[in-house]
Amino acid sequence: MDGHFRAFSFVDRITRPGGQVRGLYQIPSGIAEFPIALVAEACGQLSAWTAMAAYDFKLRPVAGIAPVIELLAPVHPGQVLELESDIESLDAEAVSYNSLAKVDGTPVLRLQHCVGPMVSVEEFDDPQALKQRFDLICGAGAAPGAFNGIPPLDMKFTGLEPGASARATLHVPATADFFADHFPRRPVFPGTLFMHKVLELAARVAEGVPLPAPNTAWVPRNINDSKLRAFMAPGGSLEFEVRLAKQAGNELTIRVEAKKENRITGHSRIVFIAEELA
Amino acid sequence: MTNEIITQEEINAIYSKVADIIADALGCDVETVMPKASLINDLGAESIDFLDIIFRLEREFKVKIPRGKIVEAARGHLSEAEFENAGIITEAGMARVREFLSEVPADRLNSPQKYAEIPKLFTTETFCKLVIRRQRATAAGEAPAA
Repeated sequence: MDGHFRAFSFVDRITRPGGQVRGLYQIPSGIAEFPIALVAEACGQLSAWTAMAAYDFKLRPVAGIAPVIELLAPVHPGQVLELESDIESLDAEAVSYNSLAKVDGTPVLRLQHCVGPMVSVEEFDDPQALKQRFDLICGAGAAPGAFNGIPPLDMKFTGLEPGASARATLHVPATADFFADHFPRRPVFPGTLFMHKVLELAARVAEGVPLPAPNTAWVPRNINDSKLRAFMAPGGSLEFEVRLAKQAGNELTIRVEAKKENRITGHSRIVFIAEELA
Repeated sequence: MTNEIITQEEINAIYSKVADIIADALGCDVETVMPKASLINDLGAESIDFLDIIFRLEREFKVKIPRGKIVEAARGHLSEAEFENAGIITEAGMARVREFLSEVPADRLNSPQKYAEIPKLFTTETFCKLVIRRQRATAAGEAPAA
């Protein structure tokens, strides 16, 4: 089955187009999980639709910079994401936006001051197909339920010092359904799947940090200063370096860097808060 | 862009904030962000970092910095043909660059200078001057160029 607009598309409807765009996405019920990183993807896609429409689908943004991502609550299959994006600025070079995702009116994720560099659409996708899709999601809406979940991603630890540091290698799959949608003419490993693995890695290091109080756990609450410097093509591998950067009281910061052939391709700082177990 | 003389005192007034922003954007220690450091050659900045730095400067200093126009600003009143020829900055263009980028050490401002490599000349102080020019333009009620 053609994965275009199915395998990695997370906006079913745009209920209010424009600079303060609003939209919806129904998380399919039949999948095992919907990682919080994909909520960020949904927000980014909502903003991307606005940016593309403004340039008649000749330009589109790609993931670039996310200074602040607040992880407010997990989401679950079957829930409906209520998406809001406010475009701060948009020109031929970049789009800047703030986004908020909610479930039943409760915020689950917030993005602040995200920046997406603009690139030529033709290199990545069919402008006409994008325009038709935009018309659909601004009108009747896309049929929900197309997303089948993320396939297992091959990541192996090559070093782990709990509470201090870790090294891991992620083998970007050579083929995957999501490449048909991200993007049809130039498959690129999604930045939000990179974010998903970054959170996993950071959590493994955080596990080993002594908790400040009993009956608490380290919970990731912020992803700060995230930047993607290069596209990750199918079939490559990324080397991750993770280290505890700071710990103060009930808060710790884990820094993650990804390299490909010794060049830094991405980095983030993840902030964990020690929170009482439910 | 307004291009009057900018004093060292003006640069010093905002330097630490600009250096912090550059350090945060590049993920490096602020101690490595020296006034004369070339962001590209010394600090490893790439185009995505320039975008990041510009947006951060805009938020911090409440100014609007026209994107994609920083290199064009170095050209000043010269026409494109007067400024560069076949990708190389002309003599008149280099005189203009030396004036506009007066904070760049003279030994880096050599001919032949490729137009495309002008960003390699930009230092921490260059971005300080960029902010100051935009602050002056904002105060004068000038809209940023499209």
